[in-house]
Amino acid sequence: MLIRRLKEDAIEFIQIEPIEAGLLQEVPGVCDSGGDDQSDARLYSSPADSSENQFLNDWAEYVRPELRHLFLSARKTVKEDLEKLSDVPGRLRRLVIPRAHSDAWLNVLNQARLILAAKFNFTARELSTHSAPKWFSRRELVLQQINFYAEIQERIIDATEE
Amino acid sequence: MAETVVETKVETSLGTPWNVVVHDDPVNLMSYVTMVFQRVFGFTKQKAQHHMLEVHHKGRSIVWTGARERAEFYVQQLHGYLLLATLERAE
Repeated sequence: MLIRRLKEDAIEFIQIEPIEAGLLQEVPGVCDSGGDDQSDARLYSSPADSSENQFLNDWAEYVRPELRHLFLSARKTVKEDLEKLSDVPGRLRRLVIPRAHSDAWLNVLNQARLILAAKFNFTARELSTHSAPKWFSRRELVLQQINFYAEIQERIIDATEE
Repeated sequence: MAETVVETKVETSLGTPWNVVVHDDPVNLMSYVTMVFQRVFGFTKQKAQHHMLEVHHKGRSIVWTGARERAEFYVQQLHGYLLLATLERAE
């Protein structure tokens, strides 16, 4: 898969292999943490230590709902973009997204990676390892999925900076 | 006497500068963190990379210091980008 700027206002994903298309289409679903405590704790991390009691209460009441709205809105944008993924039998797939959606994509890919890392308790060492795994398990495959989403993030950042 | 103590406390609280601290996170990409610092604080790429590397190597970086209300705003912005950011009283 290649990701590149298309004119001034769009980003194009081309030569998308079937397995890559599948992983992209999984992103919005991965972001639905299903109320998993560890995932929620990471998405909505504490903004201060416990001495800031009033601030933490206000944050929970006013800011957290805003953050939730922001994250859900980004997911909706990405989900709608993914519905435009081309599907011509026998040909690699293509997707064009508005450049204005790049922030939503970066946010959602980050949500997905943070949730997967939290759910599977990956260590910093594991997350920085990019060598091929010696054997495959569900955990190894999820690590590859996290790395794949990281690669997409890098390429979107490059495309927006071109 | 008690009234004097209260007044002093309020004055200190209002005058104290606050730090916006970003903490290391093994998931957020270095390029992403750099981009966020540029967007939120208007840093040059060089300055944003300096703070990103400080987070990466030292575990945390004070990215902004100033009035409490502004610090809260920045922390909220950083959480919107899913960075680990906290508000701390400056020493």
